[in-house]
Amino acid sequence: MLDIKDLHVAVEGKEILKGLSLHVGEGEVHAIMGPNGSGKSTLSYVLAGRDGYDITSGSIIYKGEDLTAMPPEARAARGVFLALQYPVEIPGVTTVNFLKAALNAQRRARSESELDAMAVLRLVRDKARSLNISEDMLRRALNVGFSGGEKKRLEVLQMALFEPSLAILDETDSGLDIDALKLVAEGVNHLRAPSRSMLVITHYQRLLTYIVPDRVHVLARGRIVAEGGKELALELEAKGYGHIVKDAA
Amino acid sequence: MSTAEDLLHTGRPPASWIAMRGAGALEQLRHQGFPHRRFEDWKYSDLREALSAARGAAAGPQIGNPFVVLGCPSLELIDGGLAASTVQLPAGIELVDLSSSTPPPRWVERLLGTLLHDGLSGAALALMAGGVALRVPSGIVAEEPIGLFFRSYNSHHARVLLVVEEGAELTLLEHHAHHSRLANIGFEIFLEKGATLRHVRLAQGADDAALVQTLGLSQAEGSRYQAHFADLGARLSRLEMHLSLDGVATQTEMRGLQVLARGRHSDVTTRLSHRAERTASAQVFKQVLGAKARAAYQGRITVTKGADGTDSRQSAKAVLLDPSAEADLKPELLIFADDVQCAHGAAIGDLDADALFYLRSRGLDERQARSLLLRAFLEDVIATIGSEAVKSCLLSAVDDVLADIGVAG
Repeated sequence: MLDIKDLHVAVEGKEILKGLSLHVGEGEVHAIMGPNGSGKSTLSYVLAGRDGYDITSGSIIYKGEDLTAMPPEARAARGVFLALQYPVEIPGVTTVNFLKAALNAQRRARSESELDAMAVLRLVRDKARSLNISEDMLRRALNVGFSGGEKKRLEVLQMALFEPSLAILDETDSGLDIDALKLVAEGVNHLRAPSRSMLVITHYQRLLTYIVPDRVHVLARGRIVAEGGKELALELEAKGYGHIVKDAA
Repeated sequence: MSTAEDLLHTGRPPASWIAMRGAGALEQLRHQGFPHRRFEDWKYSDLREALSAARGAAAGPQIGNPFVVLGCPSLELIDGGLAASTVQLPAGIELVDLSSSTPPPRWVERLLGTLLHDGLSGAALALMAGGVALRVPSGIVAEEPIGLFFRSYNSHHARVLLVVEEGAELTLLEHHAHHSRLANIGFEIFLEKGATLRHVRLAQGADDAALVQTLGLSQAEGSRYQAHFADLGARLSRLEMHLSLDGVATQTEMRGLQVLARGRHSDVTTRLSHRAERTASAQVFKQVLGAKARAAYQGRITVTKGADGTDSRQSAKAVLLDPSAEADLKPELLIFADDVQCAHGAAIGDLDADALFYLRSRGLDERQARSLLLRAFLEDVIATIGSEAVKSCLLSAVDDVLADIGVAG
C-alpha cells in the first residue's frame, strides 16, 4: 500500500526527515512512536501534501503511484486521509455542509455520482451516532467551540465517511481523557479492514492498548531507529525513548 | 468631452426653494472643486481624478437588478427622475415626487436638506434631476418591503428623503445600477421615536461609472436602524454616512460587504455619533478584493459627553486575493463620555493557510476551498438578513463577482 524509501524532508530550509524508510502493507496497522521533535508531524504532513514541506530526496509510492506528484485533493480522492492533531476551526461553514462538499468533491474526482443533501445527512447521522456526535454539532460551524475530544471524534467521523485506504492518525490521543480515548479508539477499530491501512502516530503507549498495532516503528531525529511488534511499545513505556535512541545512534 | 466641472452645472433646475437650500453648499463645492486625495476624508477616493478619466458607459452591458424577482412595490429613479409608473405603495405610505412643481407638504419643506450640509449633498439639492420623499406615518407597519431602485445612463444628481414616524416600521430595498459618469445622491433619513427601519442596499456600477452617495440618519429615542450593505464597486463607488444617535436607547447595526473584481473601487466612510445615553451601535464590514481592486473603510465613532451607557462596536476585515489589491481600514474612536463600552478591530490578510490545507486534504480543490472559505468569511454579514429571499438576491449578485474573480466553486 505505502512504500517510503529514504525520504529526506526539509521545512524552511531545515532538514527534519533524514532518510526515513517505511513499508506498510494492505490491511496493516503501523504505529509510529518517537520523542518530540523527531519528525512525526512532518511525516504526516508530507504524506497529506501540505505546502512548505520540501522533499529533497527519496520517494513515496502509494498504491503503485508517486504520491509526491499529487496535490492534497488528489491524494484525498485516492484514499489518503490525515486525522490532524489540531483540527482546524472554520467559522461560517457548518460541519454537515463541509462533509457534503468534501465527500462529493472526492466522488467527483473518482467519476462517481454525487450525493444529495438528504443522502449525505443519512449517511452522516448513521456514523455519527456511534461516535456520540450530536445533531447540534453537525449543524454548528466546523470545529468552532468543540472540545478536544469532540474535534477528534469528528476526525474519526470523517474517516468513517470517506472510507480511506490509508488513514494517518496524527497524535489522535493528545489532549484526551481515558473515556474520550476509548470512544475514539473504538471508532477507529471499527474501521479496520483488509483493504485499509493505518499509520497511528503517537508519543504515548496508551493509545496502542486500544488500537493494537501490527508493527511499531520508533522515529527519532528524522529516521526510523527501531522496529518491532506491539511489545516494543510496552518496552518504550517502561524504559522511555532514551535507551533505544542512544542504542541506535 | 466635457470637463468634470460641467457636472456641477448640469441638471434641470428644481423648484426654487429646494435649489435655494442647496445653493450655499453648491457654491462652496464649485469653488473647491470635486474632492480629491489631498482631502483627508477622500484620501482613498479621488473623485476629481475619477471624473476626469471616466467616460461613463451609457451603451454596453446592462447591470441587472436581482431584487426585481421579489415583486415588491418599488420606486424607480432613472437618471434621477421618478419613472412614471403606477406604484401601489402599502396603505398609508406617502410619496412625493421632488421634481414636481406642486408645493410640497409641510414635512418635506421642514426636513429636506436639514441633515446633510456637505458640498456634494448641496449640489444634489441644487442641481437635482429629481428625487423622492417617502413618509411612513405613525404606527404603520409596512408588511412588504418597498424597493427604491436607481438606474442611470447619464450623469445626474438626485435626492431622497425618508421619514419613518413614531412606532412605524419599514423595510427598504435599495438598488443601484449605474452606467453614468457620475451619479451623485443625497439621502436623508429621519427615524422618529420607536421607529424601525431595515435597510438593504446593493450597489453595482459599470467599470467606468462613478457613484457617490451621502446618507444622513437621525435617530430619535428608542428607534432602530438595521442595515445590510453590499457594494460591488465601480470606477469609484463611495457611500458616506453621517449617523446621529440623538435619542436615548437607540439601536444601530450596520453590516456590509465590499466585494470587488478587477480594478474596482469601493469606499465606505461612516461618521457615527452617540449623542444620548444607552445607545448601542455595531458595525461589521468585510472586504474581498481581486486583482488591482481597492477598498476603503473609514469608520469614525464619536461618543459625546453625557452619552453614558454607550455600547459601540466596530470591526473591519479584508481578504486580498491578489498582491495587487489594496485595502485601507481606518477605524477611529473619539470618546468624550465616561461610562462606555467600545470595541474595535481591523484585520487584513489572505485566506487562512491552515484552513485551506484542511479543506484540500479532504478533497476540495484549491478553487473550491477558497470559495468555501470566502463564503464563510462573508457569512456573518448576511446571516442576519431576516428574509431568505432577500438574502438570496444579494448572494446571487455577490456570487457573480466571486466567479469573476475566479473563486466561485
